[in-house]
Amino acid sequence: MSARALQVRGIRKAYPGVVAVAGLDLEVERGEVFGLLGPNGAGKTTTLEMIEGLTPADAGEIQVLGLDWRRHGAEIRSRIGVQLQSTSLFNKITPREALTLYGSYYPRRRSAEELLDLVQLRDKADAYHITLSGGQMQRLALALALVNEPELVFLDEPTTGLDPQARRGLWDVVRRMKGEGRTVILTTHYMDEAEALCDRLAIIDHGRLLTAGTPLGLIQQLAIPSVVELTFAGAAPDPAGFAARLELEVTGRADCWEIPTRDPKALLPRLLEAAEAAALAYEQIHVRRATLEDVFLHLTGRSLRD
Amino acid sequence: MLLYRQFKMEWLLYSRDRVAMFWAFAFPMIMLLGFGVIFGTGSTPQLTLVVAGEVQTQAGRDLVGALERTPLKLLRLDPGAAAARWAKGETAAELDPAGPGWRLKVNTYLAAQGQLTAQIVQQAGLAAQLREDGREPGFLPVLTESPGHAHSANYAAFLLPGLLGMNLLSMGLFSVGMVNVSYREKGKFRRLAVTPLPKWIFLLGQVLHRLTLTLLQSALMLALGWFAFGISNQGSYLLLAAVMALGTACFMAMGFALAGFAQTAEGYGAISNVFFLPMMFLSGVYFTLDAAPHWLQRSVVALPLSPYLHTLRAIFNDGSGLSGQWGGLAVVAGWTAACFLLAVKKFKWA
Repeated sequence: MSARALQVRGIRKAYPGVVAVAGLDLEVERGEVFGLLGPNGAGKTTTLEMIEGLTPADAGEIQVLGLDWRRHGAEIRSRIGVQLQSTSLFNKITPREALTLYGSYYPRRRSAEELLDLVQLRDKADAYHITLSGGQMQRLALALALVNEPELVFLDEPTTGLDPQARRGLWDVVRRMKGEGRTVILTTHYMDEAEALCDRLAIIDHGRLLTAGTPLGLIQQLAIPSVVELTFAGAAPDPAGFAARLELEVTGRADCWEIPTRDPKALLPRLLEAAEAAALAYEQIHVRRATLEDVFLHLTGRSLRD
Repeated sequence: MLLYRQFKMEWLLYSRDRVAMFWAFAFPMIMLLGFGVIFGTGSTPQLTLVVAGEVQTQAGRDLVGALERTPLKLLRLDPGAAAARWAKGETAAELDPAGPGWRLKVNTYLAAQGQLTAQIVQQAGLAAQLREDGREPGFLPVLTESPGHAHSANYAAFLLPGLLGMNLLSMGLFSVGMVNVSYREKGKFRRLAVTPLPKWIFLLGQVLHRLTLTLLQSALMLALGWFAFGISNQGSYLLLAAVMALGTACFMAMGFALAGFAQTAEGYGAISNVFFLPMMFLSGVYFTLDAAPHWLQRSVVALPLSPYLHTLRAIFNDGSGLSGQWGGLAVVAGWTAACFLLAVKKFKWA
């Protein structure tokens, strides 16, 4: 019980013309929910697939549950669960059959009925895979990942394409997994998901690790824990002049301005006064806590959403 | 146990593809019926000789008289019609008037038939000359008999084991190999790659599924052969089944092995043809290679279809036992083992 859930050192993966992952280190402890947060194309899926043993790494070391892929492949596979970014099953297999079939590959398996209830696919249990909706396919993929009572579960973008209710449902399943003592490693490009689920996370971009830590810790590290937002009706004007006058950093977005600050109480009066003086036609003003989105923005100058 | 479950799942999924299942059974039966009906009347095709015009000499008329006593089908045409038929390429051999006698013209594109016809014409010519001298030519009695015990002289009887072998070959190479490459291309195996399912069990499950499928198909073909043409298996059914099982395993292993070398379905199509076409044409499925050069005959025997068909025919047409077949079976078994090992080694889930 002493080995870490995951230890990765310096993994690299290059394809002709592009370096997908350029030297990444990761450490995941047992029983935690760990997130890989980054925009599309950051290399999250490639990283995960190298860890899952699907894609061979060009360089680096990977230890899953303290074991090496080359020497203990079969054992690792029997102890992990994987939800791929997109799961393609045979067209005419039903969820119940798939769960039973995949269950048969493991020494220990959960009943198909239990899993169907867990992901709420009971009423589609005997439908052909090809007739399932995208969300239903994803729920089945999640159930398949849990069929062997895994110690370590990998979820690749588990809520992409799900409606809000289904997202919440999945978050509940992940919390339940953690309650059962499983380690969960997931990738996402949703900041709210990372904040809601992850005990710790790593932010990656362009195949590199930018930073790692707890969500709260990363935000606090930012040293700019609050953001004042000014929303405008219609398009937001260019903040350059206003920002220069106040000697503030203002990020202009399509319909709002964002002003990160350490001390919103002190900033607000100055801001309101200046806005009045410049006859700034803003509609709303509100102060919010900084989020991982802001962390990412600070680190890369870009938004998590493309 | 795991293998049994894989096997069951293969059958379950296969049975849900109604169209594929239908053709798997219908196609070999249609082939058998078709060939049996077309070639059923006899194994030698009738040869036609065009006689263009007339030769008024006694010798000329005698030759035509002698030709009428041969099994050749004589087609008398006037020179114009004969020339038109020749121009269209339909004539294999034509008898033209040349001075006091005849001259024979043979079509290079139909050389096989033409040369055969020419030989018969020469024979007729010699017979006519002998008769002129007042003697009757004496021909040796020729007995056509197929080796082995009493059985149908229908070409379909020769064909049936060949078709059985072909069916297995095409199923192994095309159905199994192609389907697997296509599935891999579509990413249907990726999810399996992260499970502890061993590759060899996955492949073996498919082999067993196809094995049982072939046995059913072959049983149907045998039944059809019996009812439609009176062809029956002269040897032991158990032996026949065992040899066919070996054949199935062999050609499927070949399909899997080739599948390991192709990335796309099109690529697989190209690679498999390199193996399939030579085997199909040279391995005695449709005709024997007795007239082919020795080096070709010897090299073809190294491919598994040839010895396999030889053994199948020996059992089916001649009622032979296993004695004398061990060499051929060893070749097939050797190919099976080698291909299966190669298949497991080269098989990638994704």
